[in-house]
Amino acid sequence: MTEFVASESMMEYFNNLENKLNYEIQIAGKARSHGKDPSSNVEIPVAKDLADRVENLIGVSGVAERIRELENDKSREEAALSLGKEVAEGYVGNFESKKDSVESAIRVAVAMLTEGVVAAPIEGIDSVNLAKNDDGTEYISIFYAGPVRSAGGTAQALSVLVGDYVRRGLNIDRYKPRKEEVERYVEEITLYRRVAGLQYMPSEEEIRLIVENCPICLDGEPTEQAEVEGYRDLERVGTNRIRGGVGLVLAEGIALKAPKIQKYVKKYDIDGWEWLDTLMSGEKSEKKDDGGGTEESGDNKKSEKKPKPKDKYLRDLIAGRPVFSHPSRPGGFRLRYGRSRNTSFASAGINPASMVIMDKFIVAGTQLKVEIPGKAMGMAPVDFIEGPTVRLKSGDVLRIDDVNDAYELYPQVEHIIDIGEMLINYGDFLENNHPLVPSPYCFEWWIQEYRNTVSDTCTDEELEDLTQDDALRVCDQYNVPLHPKFTYLWHDITPQEFENLARFVSEHGNLSDDNSVLQIPYNNADDNGIKLILEKLLLFHKVRDGMILISEPLPFIRCLGLNSNLELKWDDIDFDDEDAQYAVNNVSGVVVRDRSLTRVGARMGRPEKSNRRKMSPVPNVLFPIGDSGGNTRQLDDASNYKATMNSKVGEIKVEIGIRECQSCGIETYECRCDCGEFTFPKMSCPWCDIKANDGVCPKCGAKASSVKTKNIDFKSIYQKAFENLGERDNFESFKGVKRLMSKNMTPEPIEKGVLRAKYNLYTFKDATVRYDMSDIPLTHIRPDELGVTAYQLRELGYTEDIYGKPFTKDDQIVCLKVQDLVVPYDAADYLLKTAQYIDDLLVKYYGLEPYYNAKTIDDIVGVLLMGLAPHTSAGVLGRLVGFTKASVGFAHPFFHAAKRRNCDGDEDCVMLLMDGLINFSPEYLPDKRGGKMDAPLVLTTRIDPNEVDKEAHNIDVCPRYPLEFYESTLNFTNPKDFEDTMDIVNNRLGTPQQYDNFLYTHDTTDIAAGPKISAYKTFGSMLEKVESQLELADKIRAVDASDVAERVLMSHFLPDLIGNLRAFSRQGTRCVKCGEKFRRPPLSGNCTRCGGKVILTVHEGAVKKYLDISSKVANDYNVSEYTKQRIEIIGYEIKSLFENDKSKQIGLSDFM
Amino acid sequence: MSETDVLRMFAEAGYQISPDAAELIASQSSQDELVDYVLKNIDDSVLVVDVDDIDLDGFLSHNGNGSENDTSTVTENSAEPELNCSSEPFNASPVTHSSQLQSSFSPDLSGKTANPVKVISDITNQSTCVGEYMEFVQYFRDRYSKLSEIIRGRINARPVESLTKNRRLGDGGNNDEVSVIGMISDVRTTTNGHKLIEIEDNTGSLSVLVRTADKELFEQANSFVLDEVVGVTGMLTNDKKLLIASKFTLPDLPNTNFTNKGSHGKAVFISDVHVGSSTFLEDEWLRFIDFLNGYIDDKKMQDISNDIRYVVVSGDLVDGIGIYPGQDKELSIPDVYEQYRKAAEYFKQIPEHITVIIGPGNHDAVRQAEPQPCFGEELKSYFPKNVTFVGNPAMVDLDGVKVLMYHGRSIDDFVASVPHVSYQKPTTAMVEMMKFRHLSPIYGGRVSIAPEKHDHFVINQIPDILHCGHVHTVGVEPYKNVLLINSGTWQSQTEFQKRVNLVPDPARVPVVDLSNMKTSILKFN
Repeated sequence: MTEFVASESMMEYFNNLENKLNYEIQIAGKARSHGKDPSSNVEIPVAKDLADRVENLIGVSGVAERIRELENDKSREEAALSLGKEVAEGYVGNFESKKDSVESAIRVAVAMLTEGVVAAPIEGIDSVNLAKNDDGTEYISIFYAGPVRSAGGTAQALSVLVGDYVRRGLNIDRYKPRKEEVERYVEEITLYRRVAGLQYMPSEEEIRLIVENCPICLDGEPTEQAEVEGYRDLERVGTNRIRGGVGLVLAEGIALKAPKIQKYVKKYDIDGWEWLDTLMSGEKSEKKDDGGGTEESGDNKKSEKKPKPKDKYLRDLIAGRPVFSHPSRPGGFRLRYGRSRNTSFASAGINPASMVIMDKFIVAGTQLKVEIPGKAMGMAPVDFIEGPTVRLKSGDVLRIDDVNDAYELYPQVEHIIDIGEMLINYGDFLENNHPLVPSPYCFEWWIQEYRNTVSDTCTDEELEDLTQDDALRVCDQYNVPLHPKFTYLWHDITPQEFENLARFVSEHGNLSDDNSVLQIPYNNADDNGIKLILEKLLLFHKVRDGMILISEPLPFIRCLGLNSNLELKWDDIDFDDEDAQYAVNNVSGVVVRDRSLTRVGARMGRPEKSNRRKMSPVPNVLFPIGDSGGNTRQLDDASNYKATMNSKVGEIKVEIGIRECQSCGIETYECRCDCGEFTFPKMSCPWCDIKANDGVCPKCGAKASSVKTKNIDFKSIYQKAFENLGERDNFESFKGVKRLMSKNMTPEPIEKGVLRAKYNLYTFKDATVRYDMSDIPLTHIRPDELGVTAYQLRELGYTEDIYGKPFTKDDQIVCLKVQDLVVPYDAADYLLKTAQYIDDLLVKYYGLEPYYNAKTIDDIVGVLLMGLAPHTSAGVLGRLVGFTKASVGFAHPFFHAAKRRNCDGDEDCVMLLMDGLINFSPEYLPDKRGGKMDAPLVLTTRIDPNEVDKEAHNIDVCPRYPLEFYESTLNFTNPKDFEDTMDIVNNRLGTPQQYDNFLYTHDTTDIAAGPKISAYKTFGSMLEKVESQLELADKIRAVDASDVAERVLMSHFLPDLIGNLRAFSRQGTRCVKCGEKFRRPPLSGNCTRCGGKVILTVHEGAVKKYLDISSKVANDYNVSEYTKQRIEIIGYEIKSLFENDKSKQIGLSDFM
Repeated sequence: MSETDVLRMFAEAGYQISPDAAELIASQSSQDELVDYVLKNIDDSVLVVDVDDIDLDGFLSHNGNGSENDTSTVTENSAEPELNCSSEPFNASPVTHSSQLQSSFSPDLSGKTANPVKVISDITNQSTCVGEYMEFVQYFRDRYSKLSEIIRGRINARPVESLTKNRRLGDGGNNDEVSVIGMISDVRTTTNGHKLIEIEDNTGSLSVLVRTADKELFEQANSFVLDEVVGVTGMLTNDKKLLIASKFTLPDLPNTNFTNKGSHGKAVFISDVHVGSSTFLEDEWLRFIDFLNGYIDDKKMQDISNDIRYVVVSGDLVDGIGIYPGQDKELSIPDVYEQYRKAAEYFKQIPEHITVIIGPGNHDAVRQAEPQPCFGEELKSYFPKNVTFVGNPAMVDLDGVKVLMYHGRSIDDFVASVPHVSYQKPTTAMVEMMKFRHLSPIYGGRVSIAPEKHDHFVINQIPDILHCGHVHTVGVEPYKNVLLINSGTWQSQTEFQKRVNLVPDPARVPVVDLSNMKTSILKFN
């Protein structure tokens, strides 16, 4: 299974990448051999596969080999379990104690489950301990830390299963919780959800069930400040504070992923987990409750036909992030099944016209929280699907599919009747295990029904836009359902509305002689609600000279059951029907399918991101200057610093790692002595101040350290750096850091900072320069939309387009290779500057030849990059192939998956590979929990789809979905039923096709179409944000503005007001001079340390900030009485606290 | 007669008098006679007249039928303009009502106000804070000055600053014990297990070391909480940076004998009614109302009912809205005004001859920051005339018996900080309040404070009864002549309480005999 399979051309591609990588490693090695860096070798180890990464990460030798063997005939999870067992039982690795072997077993298994990419196994599992049950038996407790979050729910849950699996082999008993310990979990997890938030909150019963039955004790270090109130000071629980890791593993791991655990429990026949059944049955019933939503599900008939609305995605609504559609409400996003080249993998497509019409809140890369199929999705523009239907101020109703039309018509839009389609691929339903929901009757479906019945020579394009006569002829002649173009949303109106409409058209309608236009009187239709019914049907019309004009009206007239003279052909319809669909089918004599039953509720999650990675404040170099650079950490200030009147200029006191030259004994902080020898950290005891080479003080036994507080002559260091490089000190800003965070406090050479400052580059905690972007998938590219030419891409190994034709023209579409990246122009500029900086560094600092020689961004097409996601510790090799105007990073879904990201609005970063190779060193990483996260501790050189996050295996890559698929969506079929027949990645694994010949169902003209920056990011004040949010809510038919207002108040403003009010009355104070903090103001009134002025940390302004907006919104949008009263009471409270009863303010009006 | 007058009279007779004693006399009705009586009977060895030296019982018996005398006097007193929340003046109970009652109320038949209520201290309409930094400083300075004043009478303390600056102390001659009075700003445990207490006064701060070897002292320090004021006696180390403690002096209550306040009848103490909550125990509550009306079969209970003159309510009359997240799901009345209307309806069923005093709690619709003023005019207007509204905390005089009402939010902080204090025994926290003469010392914890000019939580004047609620458990305990009462609740266990393992004592009501402070607890479930 693990054998690496690829076509010849792909093999060539990988070889090219690796050759280039090796060449760059060579150059970097040459540079580093000068000894000016913490190590004279490149410090990012290269891993060719998962097995390598796991072994590198955990450091248990022999693991890599065993993984390769196990993976031959086992799935990843099975192999992880087996491996865990083998490690625990001592077959792999060598450990001193039972405890150590169990600990390593769990780490190795978790590392494997997370593809050796994330930091969870090293940082998230602190330790594994053996403790005693009350009956004297032993049990295992796993001690989790915060970064276990990065493992994801499945790996978290399976870590527990691994623990159970290995403890059996070692004859350790299960954990038997005491009653109060069970209740402690209940209280703690509830509290954790309040202070930190959980994706899934199990009920109290579920928590009890889990704790009472889970054979492993979940323990962890405290991560939050909050403490439990009820179950405190328990003997076997080390802290009263909240243990975040425990909450995550229990709630998002075991409770949420119970089905996955059960799968392996059954497979391996592990007993003692039968309680999972109870847990899962309970979970289901709770989910049903959740579905309650805002729309009441009526009788059975409807619930059979339409999916149940779920309002979970609307929770915790934030001010300024609008709701686009309430749950499953007519007018909301209409589901369309399919995949475009820039969607799938938790990202969905919408028409760029929808982006424009909805006040430009959504752009490529914006995250939406959605009702189905998962929780959140990234957005991408796809203009081959339908755009929004709007009513203009003139009364015209039309659909806008073209983004340019959208810009033009935007000012005239009065009401957004329908916000357009949302393209979601089958794979996302499969991944989320969400039952398929009814497909709209779309062209892809119709044409398959048509072709099954009719054989003709018409092309798809011709059939897509039939005339009304042809459409009806096809129906009558072949009994094919009515073409989607003429299928209106009959399921959105009631039988009564249908009757009213039919009678009205019959009575007042006037059909033109050529049957091309139907006229009905505007005023009359408006007064009788007829126009509104037309709008609900999404029947486009114009209003001219007092008449509503409907073109191509024959199918409509037919559906109403009228003859060509507009006479009613029927007497009676069934008013008990849920909607008019049945009536239409009955009276029209043609088959009319449900046009668009499924609506997807959505609201804005977080905006897209595309920005330089900056720490705060932003350093150019990791060199400590203490307080001498002021709050802005300017190195220039530090070089002119004078501690006292008489001190030497530029002498500063800093904490720094002391190194010693072995040959001449000189103390320095540099990695190489002036004499040419390498230096080593000089370890000494921080208390006794004596040498301690073993890392432990020989006198007191304390841990030794090389860090000392030392006076350094910074002015000459600073000046020398400029001299060495031949640069001039004329930068506007050149910043260092206050204090190094790393263990040995090794500083970077100032020279690197000088050159970074020259190009306006900022460094991150690991000494690399990075650019952050939201992830969006991309499987196919066209040179002309990426700012490159076919010629350039041919140079990079792209030889033929998707149809197998030679690749010569800029508008041909080619499959994107898995490690090629498309970045925003701003990122390109930043990378270009980084390349220039690297060249300068090579030439001026290391004395080597320049490597990139890049003048414009054209010159950096084809350079090697490294992708790295937050919470992970493994970089992925990438190559730059093009640029985009959108504020997102486009890459093959496999590339995102290799970083363990999907595209639901996540972001991560790229850096120039050479930057990492030359400048990165683990030596710079902060010495604290999580310090190793977000650093390239290992580099994956080649993406093997077998070894990426499994989620990517569920992407469909076919050009069309079969007819059976569309038909079975109506029955809420489980997507797994199509798992084997659909062309998804999973079915191509292990064949060369896993890389090649991907296709898509819907194209898009421009992957970067639509607005470039979300309107959300352009607003200044909170008032502006809220007003814009509610303005949009008023415009969209599918949104209930008053509910939006209420939710914003409940989840954002009121908690803020209450929180600040509370904080004000319990606040600490702070000295403005020295920054000393006081829990309570000192009795003397002034700072007890320096005598400075002490001030409050929470001010009246911060407390009152949202009061006026809240009252205004509550009144304008008529929210519930409950919420109004809450605001009123808070208003009283604020008044009572900030107004003196005895000196009431007197206004001018009191005198008039 | 004011305390100053009392002071002057004793001074003229050649005696000093302690503030407490002066206050005690000033609070009595026949002060002139009392002063004469005390002076006549005082032991010649006494220089400073303290509370102990005032034999109220002896005076009352000497003075003949004290109670009748008292009642009439106080009645007159109550007509004096006092800080009174009620918008209406007290209304005398109509004779017709009283006549329905049995014998024990004979003094009321005079037709004058039967149940006088004097509000001695209350924040209502006195709030001056506007939220500035100096107000916070003043608030704590006021606490320090009031409490250090009490301690100063017991030890000879010096300012912190003088310890480090005085040269004489520095010359190795520092074997003398020194005393300071400070507010605790930090308590830490050293690596060797000793306690390191940081204290400060207006002049500076000082570290105090309590050694584990000094067992009793260490035990005592265990119950210290932040921001309390204590007196410390001990030895300075050579560098004058550390004081090794040998004795603590708390502002604790003086040891006095019980003195009859000359009142009569009974008062019932309730709190945490939580009208509007879905867990409000309406049946039990209506049984209680029936009891107040005498609609009860049990003869003994009926006797008690007949004696009741006061109902004191210490906060959380209603469940309120928006007090905790998701509260709307646990409310039977989701409208806060409706909640108060409903509560008022219940209180209208209490017989008019019973006087009701209501203070707010953290669920009520007033500011959360303490001290809390009484309900606003609109809410008050729902209630009948026999209800008096006060703030939180408030000291009221019920016909000679001083009751300090405090809702008890700070008990949460005490439970979290003091090892032996628990929710199951709420009076343990109240004992701590008395020892440190402060209702809510800990700043920055669960209690929100409004930085008022005066610290209203300092127990300057010693009450006869301290009445708290909030924690929903019942407890009654005498502490040095102060009766500590926590009055339980009318709400069954809530979801929140289930989570934090708190078992409430609903529908249990302490009843106090005002003549002798004897207390019984009535059950209504």
